[in-house]
Amino acid sequence: MALTALICDDSLLARNQMKKSLPAEFDADIVTAANGVEALAVLRNQEIGVVFLDLTMPELDGVGVLEAIKAEKMDVFVIVVSADIQPEMQKRVMELGALAFIQKPVNTDKLSAVMRQYGLI
Amino acid sequence: MTELSFTEEQRDCLQELINVAMGLASDKLARFLNTFVHLQVPAIGLVNAAEIPEQFRGQYQGPHSSMISLGFFGNGGLRGETILLYQLENAGKIATLLGYDDDATSEAEMLTDISSILTTTFLNGLAEQLDNSFSYAAPRVISSRDSDFIGKLEQTAFHWQLALKVDIRYELTDYSFDCNMILLIPGEAVLKLKTILDNVLAEF
Amino acid sequence: MNIDWLSGPLLQQLNSGVILLNRQLQIVYINPYICRRADIQLESVQGTDLFTVFADAPKAWLSRKLHSVLSLQSPAFSSWEQRQYLFKLPHLRPVSSANQYMAQNCSMLPLTEPGSGEQYVCLLIEDATDAYVYQSQLQQSNLQLQQVNRLDGLTGVFNRNYWQQQLEVEVQRASRYQHSLSLLFFDLDKFKRLNDDYGHQAGDIVLIEVTKLISSLLRETDLFGRYGGEEFAIILPDTPQEGAMEVAKRICRRVAATPVIYQQQQLKTSVSVGVSEFSAVSTADELIQQADLALYQAKRNGRNQVIAYYPELLESLKKVKA
Repeated sequence: MALTALICDDSLLARNQMKKSLPAEFDADIVTAANGVEALAVLRNQEIGVVFLDLTMPELDGVGVLEAIKAEKMDVFVIVVSADIQPEMQKRVMELGALAFIQKPVNTDKLSAVMRQYGLI
Repeated sequence: MTELSFTEEQRDCLQELINVAMGLASDKLARFLNTFVHLQVPAIGLVNAAEIPEQFRGQYQGPHSSMISLGFFGNGGLRGETILLYQLENAGKIATLLGYDDDATSEAEMLTDISSILTTTFLNGLAEQLDNSFSYAAPRVISSRDSDFIGKLEQTAFHWQLALKVDIRYELTDYSFDCNMILLIPGEAVLKLKTILDNVLAEF
Repeated sequence: MNIDWLSGPLLQQLNSGVILLNRQLQIVYINPYICRRADIQLESVQGTDLFTVFADAPKAWLSRKLHSVLSLQSPAFSSWEQRQYLFKLPHLRPVSSANQYMAQNCSMLPLTEPGSGEQYVCLLIEDATDAYVYQSQLQQSNLQLQQVNRLDGLTGVFNRNYWQQQLEVEVQRASRYQHSLSLLFFDLDKFKRLNDDYGHQAGDIVLIEVTKLISSLLRETDLFGRYGGEEFAIILPDTPQEGAMEVAKRICRRVAATPVIYQQQQLKTSVSVGVSEFSAVSTADELIQQADLALYQAKRNGRNQVIAYYPELLESLKKVKA
């Protein structure tokens, strides 16, 4: 069964860019969410293998999503994709259980390398 | 008037591109200045050009502030001007920040130096994402006490009705130094920007 | 059309300077514009550190700037308005310009060689001497104009308008830094009579000579202004009342002892002086009013004397008005 990946970003452009940046060999269904609340709704209702998570979002931000995932012990890989590269922020999301931190604009090679490292491709 | 408004997609696109450009800029600046630069998510909006002089008068012009202007030009008719605003009590901090230890550097020069660094790193990041490249004019000090500047703004406001205005706040944590950048893209160039944004959107 | 041939002759004939540096800030190329003006040969400076060739250039500042261009890959600028020149180069107005070196605008651009990916900084240097000369002339005329606007045409002391502005400044300064500050108001005794007896020309000469004499008794920092007609005012910064009284008495004595010579005649003059002292709660207007009241009292007491303000003067004024 193919994996389902969730792309969560408040920007439509960013969601589309993310879709396009995914390596061709990544065999997955893609679902999207425009904020943290939508993302948690998706995560609670269906089996998601990996989340590509933006940080700065309305309603509920990426940190809030990570906290909920941790609190609810959801079994999901989280790769943070953000323009905000503050070292404290990177540290915080890693502590909250994110696998990797990728800076926008997404470098496809770097993304592939990270996904390969965690066996996603 | 109507053709100057952004569609929801265009606005979203611009906001994202600006956010990413800010991220790129703060990364570069952090490495160059050895301190973290926090850029706050900016307010983006089309403003009535006639209101801009009044906004500057009210919001930005104070007895202790300095303004530095820097113009830029890109491909496809994209052009604009950034105005950086500083509080004068920050001037001493800028010297430390830039690593200037010679006394020969005047305050005006420090302000123009830091302004071109802050502005061009951000605009280069924006240009990169737009598949564009910008050329820049040398920064100029506009004295805050120069009421002439508001006069000039009032005059230019006649040439275009609307302008895109982006307010970005820079905060440098280690130096407790901050400033504001106001990016203004005048009417005609906003139309060009819309075309450019449509091209970006068509790619994705 | 292939235009690769263009860059060679352009660089040769360009009316701006071009200096190309590698990451170590060593000279890779300098165009003839700079070579001729600096009297150097390209071959002999290639590979040499920029600051060895241009030893007078502001090294600490410029190298920091050039490194910003390389590390941020964004341009930097230097304008003659902030820094007249980076490199000591002669300009082409040796006769009509007083300054020795070419005023310069400089753009510093990041460049990458397409093949190797090697990074360089390119300095483009433009001659801004003409702009510099015009600007200096303009500034000088503005300065002169400003001076003229501040002075009283007849006596050359500050005019009332400027003097009052300065009083505001000094009052603010005194209250902020808790400095003392005093004010003298004086006028020439029986000046109207002098005008009637000897003519206005004589009156003018007396005003000129008396202000000249008083100016010579003041410090550089004192602000002497003509308040109107034959009435004058002096701001004495950092001076408490006792000091101000001394100055006032000296003025009084010297004026009375120094007759003005007009058409072989000795014109005897004297002044009456009112003194007021700034206190934390006073405003510029109050300070003027108090000095004026003291002056009025000095006149009533028989002229040619100094009176310091005391609160009862204000009461007596109220009585007069009532």
